[in-house]
Amino acid sequence: MRGKFQECEMSIVNLPRHFGRRLRQICAGARLALFVVLAFSLSLVGCREDSRPPDAPPGAVVLTAWFHSGRQAERRTIQDQIKRFNQSQREVYIRPNVIPEDTYNGQVQAAALAGDLPDILEFDGPFLYNYVWQGNLHPLGDRLGEEIQSDLLPSIVEQGTFRDAFYAVGTFDSGLGLYGRRSLLEAAGARIPTKPSESWSVAEFEEILADLAKGDPDGAVLDLKLNYEGEWYTYAFSPVLQSADGGLIDRTEYQSAEGVLNGPESVAALEHVQSWIADGYVDPNIDDAAFTEKRVALSWSGHWDYPRYADAVGDDLVVMPLPDFGKGTRTGQGSWCWGITLKCSHPQQAARFLRFILQPDEILAMTRANGAPPARKAAIARSRLYGNSGPLRLFAMQLEEGYSVPRPRTPAYPTITNVFERAFQDIRHGADVQATLDRAAATIDEDIRANEGYPPQN
Amino acid sequence: MNDRVPDYAVPVRRRMTALAATATNYLVLTVGALVYVAPILFMIVASFKPDERVLPEAGTWQAFFPERTTAENYGDVFERVRFGRYMLNSMLVTGSIVGGGLVVNSLAGYALARLQWRGRGAVFRVVLALMILPLEAIAVPLFYETTLLGWRDTYVVQIVPFVANAFAIYLFYSFFLGMPKELEEAARIDGAGVWRTLVEIILPNAKPAFAAAAITTFLMYWGLYLWPLMVTTHEDVRPLPLAVATFRTLPPLNWGDIMAFAVMMVAPVLVVFIIFQRWFVRGVAASGMKG
Amino acid sequence: MTRRLNDNTPTAWPLVLPAVVGLVAFVAVPFLLALFLSLTNLRLGSPLPLEYVGLRQYVRIFTAPSFQRALVNNAVFAMVVVPVQTTLALALAILLNRGLRGMAIFRTLFFMPVVFPMALVAVVWELLYAPGSTGTLNAFLGTVTLGWWEPKAFLHDAFWALPAIMVLSIWQGLGFQMVILLAGLQSIPDQLYEAASIDGAGKLSQFWHVTLPQLRNPLVFVVLLTGILAFRVFDQVQILTQGGPNDATTTVMYEAVTAAFSRQQVARASAMTVVFFLIVLAITLGQRMLVREEREVA
Repeated sequence: MRGKFQECEMSIVNLPRHFGRRLRQICAGARLALFVVLAFSLSLVGCREDSRPPDAPPGAVVLTAWFHSGRQAERRTIQDQIKRFNQSQREVYIRPNVIPEDTYNGQVQAAALAGDLPDILEFDGPFLYNYVWQGNLHPLGDRLGEEIQSDLLPSIVEQGTFRDAFYAVGTFDSGLGLYGRRSLLEAAGARIPTKPSESWSVAEFEEILADLAKGDPDGAVLDLKLNYEGEWYTYAFSPVLQSADGGLIDRTEYQSAEGVLNGPESVAALEHVQSWIADGYVDPNIDDAAFTEKRVALSWSGHWDYPRYADAVGDDLVVMPLPDFGKGTRTGQGSWCWGITLKCSHPQQAARFLRFILQPDEILAMTRANGAPPARKAAIARSRLYGNSGPLRLFAMQLEEGYSVPRPRTPAYPTITNVFERAFQDIRHGADVQATLDRAAATIDEDIRANEGYPPQN
Repeated sequence: MNDRVPDYAVPVRRRMTALAATATNYLVLTVGALVYVAPILFMIVASFKPDERVLPEAGTWQAFFPERTTAENYGDVFERVRFGRYMLNSMLVTGSIVGGGLVVNSLAGYALARLQWRGRGAVFRVVLALMILPLEAIAVPLFYETTLLGWRDTYVVQIVPFVANAFAIYLFYSFFLGMPKELEEAARIDGAGVWRTLVEIILPNAKPAFAAAAITTFLMYWGLYLWPLMVTTHEDVRPLPLAVATFRTLPPLNWGDIMAFAVMMVAPVLVVFIIFQRWFVRGVAASGMKG
Repeated sequence: MTRRLNDNTPTAWPLVLPAVVGLVAFVAVPFLLALFLSLTNLRLGSPLPLEYVGLRQYVRIFTAPSFQRALVNNAVFAMVVVPVQTTLALALAILLNRGLRGMAIFRTLFFMPVVFPMALVAVVWELLYAPGSTGTLNAFLGTVTLGWWEPKAFLHDAFWALPAIMVLSIWQGLGFQMVILLAGLQSIPDQLYEAASIDGAGKLSQFWHVTLPQLRNPLVFVVLLTGILAFRVFDQVQILTQGGPNDATTTVMYEAVTAAFSRQQVARASAMTVVFFLIVLAITLGQRMLVREEREVA
């Protein structure tokens, strides 16, 4: 009853009071809005700060650097190098950011879109061509200095060059081969190749697999690192295509994979690989310990596994070239390298960091940690692993004598590697090799067409 | 459903059948529960085993009753990654989404249910329409949009897009619709404006709705993987689900460490759940009944 | 007169503004953007100019074997997981509704996996699915079938991979459904059952004619939710099988994210998400038709 009376009052008599009510309503609304805004701001508390790091010397140029989170030793070495670089001078301060390896390219692409790239970017070599095409990198020119430039391995220079300009440099290259256990191989009556020219032929290799399997409890004697994800498959198995005179893509024009990736030579090569898996010779390796736990006699792997394998197997370890699929053994090359992005407004200072990590001592510190071939001849000579009597001399030989093949140097590479990885997974699961490679080649060609052949951009 | 007839009046046979039924019930439930919970037990036990014995013994009794136990996996996790930071990130992000959401969505739900205003019909229709859009339908363009906004790699990008939630708004809307009008009328008679009515009368009586919304929102976003995968890079802001997947591929591959990570990741939530399970259950049920 | 008095527009708008802004900016706009982008050839980071290409992306994805397979996989997932998970949840809810002592413990145990993030569930089950006779599931099945079972590499087997993913998805989601159905069961008045048994209905008949109809709303909700979730499957696939073997486990969302992220094909991915939305819309509209809804838009 009383409420009704109040309503009456407001509507008829009290215009000013009605306006006052409106005002109070607005105030009430405003208070609410304020409350909401406050709650919101509290939730934005953790915004990433772009503020200056506290221990950067005053007046120093602060540069951000991204690198991949690989093996612990590798990661720790880079972090250590950055720290020492920062401490060694007061003009440049590097702020590191570690990115997980598995989505590295996707992260770089997204950051490029947001204009968020770091000043110094580490990336896997073959992605250089795409990044340059997108216009992300500064050419290095001669910022590295004559002494370093002339001392670099040709494969490193080749990897970092695209359309006649030099963009990125790695402190190490890579080595890929067959690790084996001498005792088991000798027991199976196999000869042990020590030079690339002595590699087993595929037929010989398959015979050896069968012989080894006889003496093995579960018949699985080969580890192909099938537990890996990502770039491994293109890196480790596309050389096989080239050893068979096939390949990923036509390397004269880089416009089409048709006829090359799904050509008879490539198909035959991957059918061999598929047969090893189908015949039960390959350990699934889901704990990445097939070789170190002595379940297999052979491991198709790269330089990064040398420290672990040497520890586990000791003197019984031999390092051999990959099998020859017809045209001689071929192996992979190329690895992570450093470039300066166009976002960097102090490329000269950024280059100082690159020169720092390219000193032979620093290179050796890294290669001691990850077992990779050093990028400079001066460092190779001093390397315990890669020097003349070093256990990994084979990897250096492969790089120097032309047995290693770079991955395709084209902006289409991210698509090529993604497509090949998926194709390999399908093949490893038993799919028809010809059909799978047909699909893969068609997908790659479609991508190249959609990008108008990746024409040079200026 | 249960007979209220006193025991001595029930024929013996019927009592035996009832007993057998109850026993079967318990038996089925116990066996079922044990099998169902086995993966969780497996995870916990594996986290206390030395790394090299996790996989080879996975198919034996030692997967559940280990011979050797060690706590070193837990230490290893902290040594290898910044677990504490990931946990902080998850809690901060999810907490903000839930907290902000409770405020924003409840107010909107109330305004839609109980107030008259211009544009109400349109807004309501928009809420209904957007309710059926799951995150995945808009993830890719939202990723593009937030990247262009420069929000990549922050907490903001993981929180702000999810605070306004059409489903939660509808939850509050239905709840407030069902609230007796007398409360508000009493407040109006006392001369309270909308703001006071809300704070002093409505909200204290809306606890079930808040619980339901908070819990379903929490369950939705605590385990979110797809979105942070697309928009975050730096471990400073990455949440736990992403971290465990990355940790799984970080060499060396130690399954004991991975299981320890998993246990630490889920333990706090599990403990909270066990303590507050009644609220959890009620909250989930309420959202289901309203839907 | 009433309108003027009760018109709370100035108060109401600040209340709804954050929600409206949020929904428009972060749900409506991206959705429209998806529609727009799906008609272009946008690629992430490409220096080439953006072009309008009409329905070409849609043609491309529907003729791509992997996307076709993804649609099939999602449909199979829905058609298997929805009935299986719902039936199990209902059975459990019925068992738990007997009013016996200690039900809370069982309810907690069955609900526990729900608080596990799917990513975590995937990582744990990866171990359980380990190949060879030492893998937990293989060993368990071997023991239970007295040695008849041959060890399988579940996640690498073209036949078993999708069922494997389905099993762990059911494991994670069952408790949620069970709780909703249990609440539904508990709200059924006893009188209905008494009336039915007076009419001479046996247990089965009571279930059919009393329980199920009374459970209609929660059941429909649960079926709808699980059905939509079946099309959202992503986490487990990305972590465990990456769509393999041979597209056996690829899903619409996995294809979309791979296209956008690994191949920078944003336009193509947008087309896929639009298709995904249309499917979800169809399922939801189907539900609305099955259930008589009373909506107040006064």
